[in-house]
Amino acid sequence: MNSRQQILDRIRTATSGDRSRYEDLPRGYIHAGALENEARIQLMTERLREYGAEVVECAASDLPATISPQLRDSGRHRFIVPDGVPHEWLAEDFTWLRDQNLIYDEIEQCAGVMTAASAGVADSGTIILHHGPAEGRRIISLLPDFHLCILRASQIVETMPEYFARFPNPPRLATFISGPSATADIEMTRIKGVHGPRFLSVIIVRDDA
Amino acid sequence: MRASLFITCYNDTLFPQTGRAVVRLLERLGVEVEFAPAQTCCGQMHANTGFRGEAYSQAKRFVQLYRDTECVVIPSSSCVAMIRDQYPGLFAELGNEELRRAFAALLPRIFEFSEFLTDKLGIDDVGACFPHRVAYHASCHGLRGLNIGERPFRLLRRVRGLELTPIANLDRCCGFGGTFSVKNADVSTAMLDAKLTDLLATEAEYCTALDNSCLMHLGGALHRRNLKMKPIHLAEILASTEAGAS
Amino acid sequence: MSGPVPISTPVMDPRLAPPFPKAALPILQNTQLRKNVAHATDVIQAKRNRLVAEKKDWQELRTSASAIRAHVLANLATYLEQFETNCTAAGGVVHWASNAAEARRIIIDILREENATEVIKIKTMTSAEIQLNPALEAAGIAAIETDLAELILQLGHDEPSHIVVPALHVNRHQVREIFARQMGLPQLPNDPEALTAAARTYLRRKFLSVPTAISGANFLIAETGSVAIVESEGNGRMCLTLPRTLITLAGIEKVLPRFADLEVMLQVLARSATGERLNPYNSLWSGVVSGDGPQRFHVVLLDNGRSEILARKVERQTLQCIRCAACLNTCPVYRQTGGHAYGSPYAGPIGAILTPQLERMRHAQSLPYASSLCGACYEVCPVKINIPEVLIDLRAQVVDQERVDSARWTDPMYLGMKAANFAFASASRFRMAQWFGRLGLRFFTGKDGWIRKLPSLGSRWTLSRDLPALPDQTFRQWWAERESKPKTGADK
Repeated sequence: MNSRQQILDRIRTATSGDRSRYEDLPRGYIHAGALENEARIQLMTERLREYGAEVVECAASDLPATISPQLRDSGRHRFIVPDGVPHEWLAEDFTWLRDQNLIYDEIEQCAGVMTAASAGVADSGTIILHHGPAEGRRIISLLPDFHLCILRASQIVETMPEYFARFPNPPRLATFISGPSATADIEMTRIKGVHGPRFLSVIIVRDDA
Repeated sequence: MRASLFITCYNDTLFPQTGRAVVRLLERLGVEVEFAPAQTCCGQMHANTGFRGEAYSQAKRFVQLYRDTECVVIPSSSCVAMIRDQYPGLFAELGNEELRRAFAALLPRIFEFSEFLTDKLGIDDVGACFPHRVAYHASCHGLRGLNIGERPFRLLRRVRGLELTPIANLDRCCGFGGTFSVKNADVSTAMLDAKLTDLLATEAEYCTALDNSCLMHLGGALHRRNLKMKPIHLAEILASTEAGAS
Repeated sequence: MSGPVPISTPVMDPRLAPPFPKAALPILQNTQLRKNVAHATDVIQAKRNRLVAEKKDWQELRTSASAIRAHVLANLATYLEQFETNCTAAGGVVHWASNAAEARRIIIDILREENATEVIKIKTMTSAEIQLNPALEAAGIAAIETDLAELILQLGHDEPSHIVVPALHVNRHQVREIFARQMGLPQLPNDPEALTAAARTYLRRKFLSVPTAISGANFLIAETGSVAIVESEGNGRMCLTLPRTLITLAGIEKVLPRFADLEVMLQVLARSATGERLNPYNSLWSGVVSGDGPQRFHVVLLDNGRSEILARKVERQTLQCIRCAACLNTCPVYRQTGGHAYGSPYAGPIGAILTPQLERMRHAQSLPYASSLCGACYEVCPVKINIPEVLIDLRAQVVDQERVDSARWTDPMYLGMKAANFAFASASRFRMAQWFGRLGLRFFTGKDGWIRKLPSLGSRWTLSRDLPALPDQTFRQWWAERESKPKTGADK
């Protein structure tokens, strides 16, 4: 008998007679948030800033004009973008590399990246990428040291359960980012930026304009 | 009201003054106290060391001895926790249905000493007087096993002349742990050192608790180090009525 | 200058490690290490308590997390098969390993097929459990730990002492020495920022060049066949994204029914583990995704005693564990000894119950006794594992082994327990035991009525505590005397 069968048999013997239905599981925790629109965006902003992330807001029509100064402030010139990012986001005065299967070294040599996102969770200040066309491959938001993330206000939910409710079809890939990469491995001193981007900048775009 | 006292084996042998204080206090509060001489031990030491069959024998004795009493008062939170947390499992595994049912009927009538005062009698002010600085040590079984909460504090705050001094890391174990104190004597001692540091910082004259077991451990170390702080069971404070008496 | 890292190299193999009380001794004398552990646990615990307090639905989250994990265990075979089906459909290859040796063999076979000479690793408790690194080394494959703490330990030839923060027993000066020596950076300063930057540079080359990686798993999602990994540094993302081939080693208990169950687990895990609302990075992937990340993906499902734990009623809850280590940080024993005394990668209260069970109770029998049963672990456990209850049950298993071991006749603890049981069986025996006890102890009692030194097992008590002499009158004697007198309404 192979190990698979052996293990499954042992498990079945151990659990024979157990009855537990998924539908009956207690779910008494908070699902929906209580905050109004403004307060939710405010909370997202606060939580991101607590992580040391840079956050600005703008109206949809002002997005290209808002991207430029954010990039300039980062002190970097060359940026990678996923292939699916809208053309109008690509501000002039910067060098843009569209990710059409860039090799690792090309990505590594690029100091910054700009992507869209799939969702934001205000309660934990989390940005979630599902790595679609405008969010790009996982590697491009990992190797560069600076990540500018464009998040629409309507993508921001208050609680973690609200995010999961919004995506009943699970993504094949997801990266949850809560502030820049960090470690507290040496004497519990929190140090920003170990391997992932050390600098995270977020533009929250108002959809209502 | 008739309260049947389960004094516990180690209070009986090592700390009779605690039992005398419980009797004195309860009688002062108008409770009729009875003591069944057939009692020995609740089985905690055996259960917690892994001697399950032995613990079961004592659990069985306990239930048979107290099943017909009006209520049981126990001046030791760890023994109460043993009875509440472990008897059901012991009876389910080793006992019979009749015993299990007798225990289930008895269980709501079993009280830790401070629970008995505050919950059953509904008294916070027992008319005690103890003009001293006192630190309260929260034994783990009282704190987490019984969720004793504010009860001992409510009782202590109403004692005339008593000054209650807060202790840092109240919820941290003193390192006694029954046979742990000898099986892992060195680690137990390290935990004891940490607790003594917090305890001595209170500059209290007395350290009180619901359990003489923790107090034997703390008091033994206080004595070893020639320190003035004295261990005292809560019952002895509450039984004191005039300045100086304990 | 700070003390040396370990006084002697700790033994982390439960089959070879000394019993807990003995293993704890050198650590109790290592003041630097104890200071480091106390500081780290204080910091994490304070952060954890603050963030748990702000969460209004914490108890409801705990209840759900616990119920989800218990539900998984009750339906484990179904969920594992579901995971296997969905992971395979997504392009992954699922392997099953009955024990540590089989898991090691599967992994080494895959690596050989890849012609691997090096492999990058994300911190995985399971790989430490199966002692993978020495096996890789023997097979000529260099394992490179990429978690900062694991790197510190690997370069310093030290062992992990905590599930989440494995190098918490090492301070910055010690890290500096290790890095300066091993990375050839004599000028390296000792501030954590510079040390972290040094690790970043050191590992970046490895991330970009090593084509095979090994990870553990925080959760396997049955519904999608995906794997979730929770981390802080980004080394995980590197290992999960850059290599051509990824091998994930996961205990069979790690499965969750659905993607959405993460809404509970992620919330309780981050707060319990590091005291954060969410840890910086969570990665989730399903099998192989064309054009993104490793194009060859293997999952090794490890039993290694877990199905036997599953079969035991009280012990089963051990498998609910999500490895947050909150029980370590709050444990008054762990806070004194750190992790090395446990002689296993799984330290603290959870280690005290998990390790002996993984060893089928044939080793590490001292671990269930490495607890004062204070219950602090149960109180903080995000999946409500009643650790004291399991400890007591395991102690009963240990005693059952003693009952048939001839050594019991020379074990004072065993004999004492049997004698006490004999005494407790009737009041007359108990009275006699009290009488003999008083008489026997009189010999050791000083003039002030205190005992300072006892022989045998008693010497373990008098190591640090005096014992009051037995009073002349027991309570029952006083009561009998009182009952024999006519009632006056007041006692003496």
